[in-house]
Amino acid sequence: MPFKIEFTGMDELIRKMDKLPEVAAKVAAESLYEGAGVVADAVSGAVQGIATEPFKYAKGGKRRKPSPEEKAIVSNARHGVAKFKNDGNTIQTSIGYQKAGYATLKGKTKPVPVIVNAINSGTSFMQKQPFLRKAFSKSKSAAIATIQAGIEARADQFDLG
Amino acid sequence: MPSEYTALVNALKSLTQGESPDTVTLPVAEDEWYTRPDAVSYGVVSLDFEADAILAEGLKTDTAWEGSVDLFSMARNGAGWVDLITAALTQHCGASWSLNSHQYERETGLFHWEWAFQVEG
Repeated sequence: MPFKIEFTGMDELIRKMDKLPEVAAKVAAESLYEGAGVVADAVSGAVQGIATEPFKYAKGGKRRKPSPEEKAIVSNARHGVAKFKNDGNTIQTSIGYQKAGYATLKGKTKPVPVIVNAINSGTSFMQKQPFLRKAFSKSKSAAIATIQAGIEARADQFDLG
Repeated sequence: MPSEYTALVNALKSLTQGESPDTVTLPVAEDEWYTRPDAVSYGVVSLDFEADAILAEGLKTDTAWEGSVDLFSMARNGAGWVDLITAALTQHCGASWSLNSHQYERETGLFHWEWAFQVEG
């Protein structure tokens, strides 16, 4: 995305170029936050699509579906956009259940990410329901478009006064 | 079914290792495995959902399908199947695959690898 920066004389150019990384990082972070929101909304919607059945032990090698209690834990757990990391060149975030904490299921306390992973990736005794991968893949194009639109909407900030 | 996916399934089902005549074949099931095989390692391959599509005048011209390969193994190193599966994925999906998760099941003692891949269909 090209942006126009006008200057007269070297002093002004140096002053504007010094300011540029700061403004670029701010615009990138704001746009990334909007794009990450699209993906996080897709995850919240995909959780509702998890198929369940009342809990039963997986016998005879059969794989079971998650129980309604497990689905309730996953849908009520804290999830969304993680804290942003800026390493100088890139700004990164992640969307998921990193800080979802713990939940008690059938008298046992388990980390919520473990339950989420068991549903998303499947186990030898639970059917796979890749709701996270589906949400990420399906919202990828929309998230990129949102980030690009966000940067274009903030184009006036690059006209460094 | 995308033809690339069918080729990948056939390649995974024909995975063997070991010196003949003691050749070992990896039991691979398509989609759902309702009876867990009595083997040290087994695999599951499935086509999960449509990942993305290119539209021309509102009609789909190119579609990307996403699927996954699971390897369950009692051996920590996957008993040699990890390298063979990743080689098959590279051959049939190019670079469009990744290791999505690697877990250990405490209840069953199985190590679980999951690769996600995308094919054109």
